[in-house]
Amino acid sequence: MKREAARKKKKSHLPLRLNILFFGVFVMFSALVIQLGIVQLIYGETYQREIARTEDVTVAIPVPRGELLDTNYKKIVDNTPLNAITYTKFQNTPQSQSLEVARKLAKLIEKDASKVTERDKKDFWMLLHPKKAEAKLTKKEWDKFKVKKLTDKQLYKIQLSRITTTEINSLSKDELEILAIKRELDGGYALSQQIVKSEGVTQEEFARVSENLDQLPGVDITTDWKRNYYYGNMLRTLIGNITTTSEGIPKDKTDYYLSRDYSRNDRVGKSYIEATYEHILHGKKAKIKNVTDKAGNLISKETISEGEKGKDLVLTIDIDLQAEIEKIIEEELLAAKGRAGNHMLDRAFVVMMNPNTGDILTMAGKQLEKSKQGKYETTDFALGSMTTSYPMGSAVKGATVLTGFQTGAIRPGDYQHDRPLHIKGTKEKSSWQNMGSINDLDALKRSSNVYMFLTAIKIGKGNYIPNGPLRLNQNTFSIMRNSFSQFGLGVPTGIDLPNESIGFKGQSTLPGFALDLAIGQYDTYTPLQMVQYVSTIANGGYRMKPHILKEIRDPSLKESEPGQVIYSNFPTVINRVEMNQAYIERVQEGFRRVMQVPKGTAYSSFSSAPYKPAGKTGTAETFYDGPEKNYRGKSTFNLTLIGYAPNKNPEIAFSVVVPWVSDKDQINKKIGRRILDKYFELKNKQNGIIAQAISKNE
Amino acid sequence: MSKDQTPQYKIDITLILVLLFLAIISFFTINSAEDQIPEKLQHVNFARKQIVWYLLSLIAIAGTMVIDFDRFKYITWYLYGFGMFLLLGLEFGPSLGVSNEIILTLNGATGWYKLGPLGNFQPAELEKLVLILLLSRTIVEHHDKYPERTKKDDLRLIAKFFIIVVPPMLLILKQPDLGSGMVITAIVAAIMFVSGIRFRYIFALASGVIAIGALMVFIYLNYTEFFKTNILDEYQLNRFYGWLAPYEYETQGYQLRQALLAIGSGTLMGKGYSANEVYFPEPQTDFIFAIFSENFGFVGSSIVISLFFLLIYRMIHIALESNDPFGSYICAGVIGMITFQVFQNIGMTVGLLPITGIPLPFISYGGSSLLIYMVCIGLVLNVRSRTRKYMFD
Repeated sequence: MKREAARKKKKSHLPLRLNILFFGVFVMFSALVIQLGIVQLIYGETYQREIARTEDVTVAIPVPRGELLDTNYKKIVDNTPLNAITYTKFQNTPQSQSLEVARKLAKLIEKDASKVTERDKKDFWMLLHPKKAEAKLTKKEWDKFKVKKLTDKQLYKIQLSRITTTEINSLSKDELEILAIKRELDGGYALSQQIVKSEGVTQEEFARVSENLDQLPGVDITTDWKRNYYYGNMLRTLIGNITTTSEGIPKDKTDYYLSRDYSRNDRVGKSYIEATYEHILHGKKAKIKNVTDKAGNLISKETISEGEKGKDLVLTIDIDLQAEIEKIIEEELLAAKGRAGNHMLDRAFVVMMNPNTGDILTMAGKQLEKSKQGKYETTDFALGSMTTSYPMGSAVKGATVLTGFQTGAIRPGDYQHDRPLHIKGTKEKSSWQNMGSINDLDALKRSSNVYMFLTAIKIGKGNYIPNGPLRLNQNTFSIMRNSFSQFGLGVPTGIDLPNESIGFKGQSTLPGFALDLAIGQYDTYTPLQMVQYVSTIANGGYRMKPHILKEIRDPSLKESEPGQVIYSNFPTVINRVEMNQAYIERVQEGFRRVMQVPKGTAYSSFSSAPYKPAGKTGTAETFYDGPEKNYRGKSTFNLTLIGYAPNKNPEIAFSVVVPWVSDKDQINKKIGRRILDKYFELKNKQNGIIAQAISKNE
Repeated sequence: MSKDQTPQYKIDITLILVLLFLAIISFFTINSAEDQIPEKLQHVNFARKQIVWYLLSLIAIAGTMVIDFDRFKYITWYLYGFGMFLLLGLEFGPSLGVSNEIILTLNGATGWYKLGPLGNFQPAELEKLVLILLLSRTIVEHHDKYPERTKKDDLRLIAKFFIIVVPPMLLILKQPDLGSGMVITAIVAAIMFVSGIRFRYIFALASGVIAIGALMVFIYLNYTEFFKTNILDEYQLNRFYGWLAPYEYETQGYQLRQALLAIGSGTLMGKGYSANEVYFPEPQTDFIFAIFSENFGFVGSSIVISLFFLLIYRMIHIALESNDPFGSYICAGVIGMITFQVFQNIGMTVGLLPITGIPLPFISYGGSSLLIYMVCIGLVLNVRSRTRKYMFD
């Protein structure tokens, strides 16, 4: 009975407690319904809008880069279209997708696995053999992992380190191909098109992939492009390079490019013309809106903008002339290499510019290299015309004479006595022959050093006392360099390309060096500076900004016709030399005599030239400073030649620079004569064609 | 007292109908989520497998109902021993050389045995059932032994609860499996509440829990580093970050943002069957309600919640009707378990509670857990079927 009573008592509490429990359940479920109501009924529309908003994803598709044309609209660089297989990842594409897609693609296309690294192989092996990979770890390590003494990453590292080479080599050829494709798929960034394969895609592969696109999420077929260089390596150092898709935009300028609508894997110009005019060559990307659901499945595609091919650059370069001149340099270099005393010779430069406009018609440089077979071969070094500098020798004497006139140190027609000078503490300073009493014109024609020395002494308000010490004003160097800079010597020429060298200035201000400066044996200048300097004299004192860009044009619609002009480069005068016109004419006359009057230093080479050239030779005593270590510091000569033609109303100016050559050699004049001949020959041919065309039309 | 010897099974038709509806909803919702299931699992037809599990569960229910639930009393301690054995196996197995071919670690929690083709088995699930039975038996025996039920007796009962619950609880938390720990706490709380322990003790315990919670928050706010190294790991804390500020914590709040997006955009009537627009990493399990709610909107969701409510209501009814307190306690335990899971699962998808890996009973895909719930339902039905109306009761 006690039990019975107890049960009764106990029973009495149960219903109450159960009812309270039930009430609790009721409250909890009510809370759920209320919260559901808030989420679905009050904020429902907000969430609906959010879904609508996140559905569109815009993918940018690269367009072909602009082309490079020469001054006569001949193509230098254009693009070869390539069939390409691409892959686009979306934000919520699952990790597993790339492996699946890679497996399927591997059956459809061939992919070279040479880029696959060992680390890739190890990762892939672990992916394929998860159980074997797990077995790589000891129990101790697993236990450590469980108690969180080892992280996932550490475990993975241990596993990686224990994969044997036999295991890596166990990957079959097919698996390696899958891996090679998977690498490409994983390499891309979300929402930008990644090229899986572009070079060497066969028509069959293209067709197979396009038939199976529906089974290959993210994969698409498009046209990619490859830079096509019509003239091989010619001018390549100046044209510059573009990055590959895997290099993408330069790391140090990521923000700059990303803010300008570039993707991380875009190819951009990384040097010289390609880099300088990146903003023009790079077109506007086509934009395609992909409508995706929240699972990342593509529902539809819509083209927002067609995109625009990059604009074409028309260069001032005359590619035919360039080619001929490179050939001349090559022949002369190889010929000179065979002559005695030219063992150090390894390079030569020619820059040709229109002295009235600053158009660079040719910028050529060649470097000799010994091939493995011991034969000399030339490589392109056009860039050296603006990035390397040398003492130019007597070629600068025009500037010295003009500085003398300008400062009042000498006057046109002044005679000075050319004889060896003896200055205390220095070697005898003389011309290559004693010329006796000569005036400014003779001094230029016959290239007198002493005339220049005496002029420099006068500029420095000094007094030459035989065997005595020489004292010059402190500002002699700055007066001379300032005057030289008006011609572009020792200052930037302002060319529209990066990394221009301005040459080196001697640091010592001992008076003797001022005399060396006067004959071009102290400061160094680039071949480009030399052509700007001679142009300034040729055109009567206007320092023209040299430029390589002539026009910017819209992409051409027809193969044979260039597109619409968008921009035309007008000649820019950087400065007018602050000198009396008569002074410049005087130097012009001196330059004319160098080439056209007997005893002129270049008379023998140019006297027969019909186009009336003018110019100045140069021979600088110098020291070898090239790549060959054994020759470093050995004394040698730089042979130079600057000039223009015709001497009245010149249309072409040039500089020839051949460093580290025997002073007995004539290579500078040989090149100089041949390039001028070639220029006029091509010009006449061109005129002939035009004349023919005109007569035909009539 | 004499008992009627002829068995007269009384089947609770309402409860079975509710279950049938839930099974149908489960099948169609899993089927609707199928498109979103990760590629590596695409070959598995989860909806079809769920049906197989439901059929297996029916056998389990039948099996449970054959024996009088009263008999279960006698095997509870063996079951408890077996459960502890399995949990200890998980804890010490790996270091004793049991290979990971048998013991499975998923997402950092060592909580499963691999049973070959049968799938994976989670001892923590079994432990829920074991504790419901053992705690119910303990109360009955306690009340028989101490019919007066003094204050001291109440305290003694509480102590017994602790002695029984703490060992498996610690092992489960160590796996770590916070979700199962919370469900077990809910079961214990429900059973303890109906056991008749004085309200003041229940309030005291509840306040103790709240105080500990408050202390945790205090420690977290003032000694964050200490908290992270000694109390909760960063990844557990992430659940809280994601819950409290889903739009500030990009990754931690991802699941909640997706869930709110799916449910919210379902609005009143839903987008229609299988019209899923929001992606979930593994939609067939923990976020199944979000899928359903996106498809059928507020109306559909309310119906599901009502079905669960009806289920609980029937169980309360059975507990009230039962003339054996052992049966009532079992019902209370099952009510605690199901209510908590439903509340937690739906609550987390609508942002009421932090995200924990607790599936929605009867609807989420999951073999072994479904089996356990169905055995629990079997027990409740058993209680119902053995309930007699006495003339003079």
